[in-house]
Amino acid sequence: MIELIIGLLATTMATSTVLILASLGETIVERGGILNLGIEGIMLIGAFSGFIGAYFTKNLWIGLLMAIIGGILIAIIFGFLIIKLNLNQVISGLAINLLTYGLCLYFFRYIFSQGALPYLSELITPIPIPFLSQIPIIGPIFFNQTIFVYIAFISTPIVYYLLFKTSFGLRLRAIGEDPSIAYRLGIKVDKLRFIALILEGIFVGMAGGMLCISMFNVFDVRITGAKGFVAISIVILGRWNPIGAFGGALIFGFTEALSLWIGTLIVGPLSASMSQLLSILPYSVAIIALLIGGRRAKGPASLGSIFLKE
Amino acid sequence: MELNLKPLYRAVLAIALTFLATSILFIFTGANPFLAFYYIFHGAFGNELLIIETLVRTSPILLISLGLAISFKCKVWNIGAEGQLYIGAMLGTIAALFMGEFFLTLPIAIIFSILGGAAWASIPAFMKAKLGINEVITTFLMNYVAINLVQWLLAFPFKSPETLFPESSRIPYSAIFPIIINHTRFHLGILITFIIILPLIYFLMMKTTFGFKLKVVGENPEAAKYSGISVSTTIFMALVISGALAGMAGFFEVAGIQYRMRPTISPGYGYTGIVIALLGQNHPIGITLASIFIAAIINGASTMSRILNQPQGIVDFIQGMLIIMVLASEIILRYLEKREVIKT
Repeated sequence: MIELIIGLLATTMATSTVLILASLGETIVERGGILNLGIEGIMLIGAFSGFIGAYFTKNLWIGLLMAIIGGILIAIIFGFLIIKLNLNQVISGLAINLLTYGLCLYFFRYIFSQGALPYLSELITPIPIPFLSQIPIIGPIFFNQTIFVYIAFISTPIVYYLLFKTSFGLRLRAIGEDPSIAYRLGIKVDKLRFIALILEGIFVGMAGGMLCISMFNVFDVRITGAKGFVAISIVILGRWNPIGAFGGALIFGFTEALSLWIGTLIVGPLSASMSQLLSILPYSVAIIALLIGGRRAKGPASLGSIFLKE
Repeated sequence: MELNLKPLYRAVLAIALTFLATSILFIFTGANPFLAFYYIFHGAFGNELLIIETLVRTSPILLISLGLAISFKCKVWNIGAEGQLYIGAMLGTIAALFMGEFFLTLPIAIIFSILGGAAWASIPAFMKAKLGINEVITTFLMNYVAINLVQWLLAFPFKSPETLFPESSRIPYSAIFPIIINHTRFHLGILITFIIILPLIYFLMMKTTFGFKLKVVGENPEAAKYSGISVSTTIFMALVISGALAGMAGFFEVAGIQYRMRPTISPGYGYTGIVIALLGQNHPIGITLASIFIAAIINGASTMSRILNQPQGIVDFIQGMLIIMVLASEIILRYLEKREVIKT
């Protein structure tokens, strides 16, 4: 039993990490007043380019790099739409999602037009940390994980520091509260917002890449399964604070791992039925959590609004 | 009456720019864009049967986008039509299966599908109207709850004993829409959509105080509040009505085309509806034209991809591009106006 629970918690770390990375990225941009609903598309491109990179070079690290580059690219395109053209953020985000979905479907079929579905022969495997991974219970859960998990753990305090202790963070948050005042104070609104989006591209692209090159060895256009939107609800629950987002992501990661775990635990005729029904659990929990915790949530004042200089 | 041509300019500009962007994609993969668009057009309107098929495709997306237009008109971004469609279709099917052969099976099943979609939408509607929780996130997440729930219902409690696939049993004959044009799939539901629902929504949006409230709440919620309009009730109703129409669209597909509920009942119609509502600029007539246009693209693209051996994904790409171009066309038109190239 104890091994099963350790297994559950170790899986939780992996499922949470995707959400931690994505919600860190979204927290950064939302602090700068950008509501990026295109996060799902950024994650999908991360998964796609990560898979393509790893598949053709047989090098998972190049896959990771490609995932990050893909993420940055889509984040910049989104930035161009909402910062340079001042288009509606909500609708532009949805357009980005549809566009990336179409592009991934199109190019995946174009590249692998025939034959069996491609898969990666190996995945990024856990790197046990010497000594620490030997600690009973805690060791296998926290210190025998993939690079992604360690990055997520290290990034959380770094993003916190960046947002609340640096002048970059101060200026970004000022933009999020009122871009026109920030602009009059001489803050380069556009430039800072682009930097924030590039950071989001890195984090969310990596989260998408993790799905393909570390969790599943195949690509499918449905691979992200609304994880981007779950990450946005985590940002709200975490009150636009990286530490809060980290905690929220752990809860959702646990729910997801739990639904997978119960599915494998129950044997017999009920097993398939139960595991399929449990697949609604993470989404339902996200909605219930918003219902309870999203009530008094006050985000950055200018979140989602259009900023026109003049 | 002076005609306002601006919406038309916007739509035409957006479509032209989208075709340009799609052409680049075709060139990239070695297809002749002129040939590709020819086959898309041919696949949609090439002969009588193909035209009817395009209308068959138009019906569900018209229903959905009319509903979404009501919601978008008051700036409520319902992204959950896909889930509302699934719940409506499922509930309508369950009602039809329970009722069996009975002369009222069809209308009662339709009512259940409307209630199903409305009820599903009422959850995010309540959260938006009463608690101020962003409806984009909740409606989108509820799509996943709905689709996973329906998949489970079809795989277990309502799985047909006769087939190997997760799908419901065939609905009773009395729940099936009669075919209007022989040897085609043109069923009564399509007529209902065009002759009853479309005028009804037109009337609701353009001639009633509710339609006026939608507009005021969308354009200026503060002013709405001061003039005594209940903003939260309007928002709630807008989202629920859009859910009701999506649910109805779902069951129309069951009763008119599939005759059983399947987990693949919608190829993303809920998202397509968003594109159409934007392209048609929330006006019932604009939406009707946009629905036919998108239905033509969907039907034509499948013909085109078969003939030219082009991969799927074109339809989604075009839809995403259209959204961006509709938004961007506003800026381009403003620029052209300033230069006095056009007058709007």
